[in-house]
Amino acid sequence: MKRLFSGVMNGLGEIWGHKLRSLLTISCVMLGVASMVVTTGFMEGFFSTWEVSLQEAGGLEKIAGTPRGLSDRQAPFAPVSRGFTMDDARALTDLVPTIGVLSPEIDSSSARLSHRGRRHDGRVQGVTNGVFEINRYEVAQGRMFSDLDMHDHASVIIIGSEVRKDCFEPGENPVGQFIDVNGVPFRVIGVLHHYERFYGTYNTLDWKNDIAFIPITMMASKVQHSDQLSWLNMKAADLGLLRETVDAAANVLAQQHRGLIDFRVKTNEESLASYASTKASFVIGGSAIAGVSLLVSGIGIMNLMLASINERVREIGIRKAIGATPFNIFSQFLAEAVTLSLIGGAAGVSVAVGMIRLLGAALPPGSEPLLAPSAFVVGFVFSVLAGVLAGIYPAMQAAKLDPIEALRYE
Amino acid sequence: MGDTVVDALVDASFTLREGEAVAILGPSGSGKSTLMHLLGFLDSPTSGEVIFEGQPVAVLTERQRARIRAEKIGFVFQAFNLLPRLSVRANVALPLTYLGETPPDAEARVDRALELVGMSNRAQHKPGELSGGQRQRVAIARALVNEPRILLADEPTGNLDTKTAAAILDLFNELNRLGRTIVVVTHSPEIAANFSRQIHVLDGRVMEGAA
Repeated sequence: MKRLFSGVMNGLGEIWGHKLRSLLTISCVMLGVASMVVTTGFMEGFFSTWEVSLQEAGGLEKIAGTPRGLSDRQAPFAPVSRGFTMDDARALTDLVPTIGVLSPEIDSSSARLSHRGRRHDGRVQGVTNGVFEINRYEVAQGRMFSDLDMHDHASVIIIGSEVRKDCFEPGENPVGQFIDVNGVPFRVIGVLHHYERFYGTYNTLDWKNDIAFIPITMMASKVQHSDQLSWLNMKAADLGLLRETVDAAANVLAQQHRGLIDFRVKTNEESLASYASTKASFVIGGSAIAGVSLLVSGIGIMNLMLASINERVREIGIRKAIGATPFNIFSQFLAEAVTLSLIGGAAGVSVAVGMIRLLGAALPPGSEPLLAPSAFVVGFVFSVLAGVLAGIYPAMQAAKLDPIEALRYE
Repeated sequence: MGDTVVDALVDASFTLREGEAVAILGPSGSGKSTLMHLLGFLDSPTSGEVIFEGQPVAVLTERQRARIRAEKIGFVFQAFNLLPRLSVRANVALPLTYLGETPPDAEARVDRALELVGMSNRAQHKPGELSGGQRQRVAIARALVNEPRILLADEPTGNLDTKTAAAILDLFNELNRLGRTIVVVTHSPEIAANFSRQIHVLDGRVMEGAA
C-alpha cells in the first residue's frame, strides 16, 4: 500500500515534470471517458423512458382482448356474434382460472364533462376496479368503486388529473362534488394520480391523465344501453402462465362468439421484444464506442510512456545501479501510466457530469442523459484498464534496459 | 572504423578482500571504469567470471544482483548520476526504497548520510542548484545511505578542489577504518597513494603494485 502510494506520488512528480505532454495525454483519456459516460447516460435515459412506458401500459402479464374485423370467409355470419360483452367477462372468470385480474371496459371516446361552467372534452370509460391494477392507475384522492356502486349502477365518477384541472379550481377538492357527463350529474368519488414522463415537451403518459371512470354497470345500463364492451383486458396470475392463459382465453372467447374470430388476444411481448433487440444493438454500439475510446486513450498513454522512457534511459540506469530490480522499474512506470490515466479518468467523469447537467438543462426532458452511478464505475474501470494495458509494454521495455547501456546513454 | 572488437579488459585476475582500501589506477581509456562496472555487477565479462562471496555472479538472476547492489554495494559515479528532478534529500533516500523493505530509521539514515558529507543544509535543493563538488558529496551520501559493505567510487575527487578532495579522501579512510571495503577508481597517482593497495590498469591489463 505504502509502495503503491509512493509509486503514485512519484508518477505525479513525473507528470508535473512534463506539464504540456501530460496534459495532452490526460485530455485523451478525459475525452474518452467523458464521451463514454455521456453516451452511457443517453442510453440510460432513453431506455428508462421506454421501460417506464412499457410498465405503465400494463407490464408483461397484461393480455388485451380487442375486437377485429372478420375474415372474408366468416363475414357473412357477422350477426351471429354479439362481440365482446359482459357475458364474456363472466365466462372468462369462470372458465380460465389462470386469469388473475379481469377488466372489461366500455369506452366512450368523446364525452363532455362540465362543472360550474368549466368543461373538459375527453374520454369516459365504464370499468370495474380491475382497470386500476391492469392499466396501473392509482387513486390519489378519494376511493375506488365499491361493490355497492357496481350493484346499484351508481352515478359516481373517478376523474383523471387533466379533468380535475379543467373542471375544478386549483385548490378545490373535487371529491363529493358533482360533475355533469353529457348533461347527467355524477358524484366525484376519487381523483387519479397525475402521471408524467416527458419525452421532449411531450408527456408520454398524458393519456392516463385525460380520462374518467364510471362503474361499467352504470355505463351499460344508463349511457350505452347495452353491455357491449369496447375491449377486455386480462392479467395472467403469473408470468409463467402467460401463454397458457392466452390460449385458454382465446378458446373461451371463440366459444362465446359462436366460432367467429372477431377478436384478437395479444400480449405486450412484441413491444418487449423490440425493446430488447433495440437495447441489445445499443449496447453493442456503446461497447464499440467505448472500445475506440479505450484504444485512443491507450495509444496516447503508450506514446507518452515510450517517449518518457526514451528520455529517461539514464535515470533507469542510475536506479538499477543503486539497486532497483527490474520489477521495481516495471512497477514505477506502470504506476506512472495508471496515475496518468486515473487523473484523465477523474477529469473525464467530472467533465461528463458537467455535460450531463448542461445537456439536461438544455435538452427537452425525457431525451436528456441520465447520471447513472454505473457510468462512474465504468469510467473508473475504463481508465485504470487503459492505463494498465497501455502501460505494460513501455514498463516492460524500461525494466529490460541493460543498466550499463543505460548509464552510458547520453 | 568497422567492426573491430575492442577488449576493454584482458587478463584481469585479482581478488578483493573484505576491509581493503584499494585504488584502481590508470590513464583515461585504460578500462578502469569497465572494471568498476564489472565489480558492481552492472556489466558481465565476455569471458571469465566475477566471483562475489564465493559465488559466481553469472549464475545470479538480475533481481538477485539488484538486491546485492542495493544492500551491499554503494556506487559513486564519475558523472554523479543524481536524478535532476528529485531534491537532494530524495536522491539520497532513493536506495532505501530498493531494499526489501524500507528500514524504520530511513529518515534518520538520510540525515546521517547528509551530515557525513556536510550537505544537511542543502537537503531541499535540486542537484541543478549545486556546484560540482556539492553534487559529488550528495552522490557519496547516496552511496552510503544503505550502509553498504563495499563502496565503489569512480573518480570521486575529479570535480573537487584540493581541500574538498582531501576531506572526501579522509572520509573514505574513516569508512575503511570502520570496516568498509573501499574501491576507488582514479587516474591520479597522488590520490591512489592514499589507499593501502593499488591496482594498475593499462591498456586493459591489470597489474598489482605500488605506483
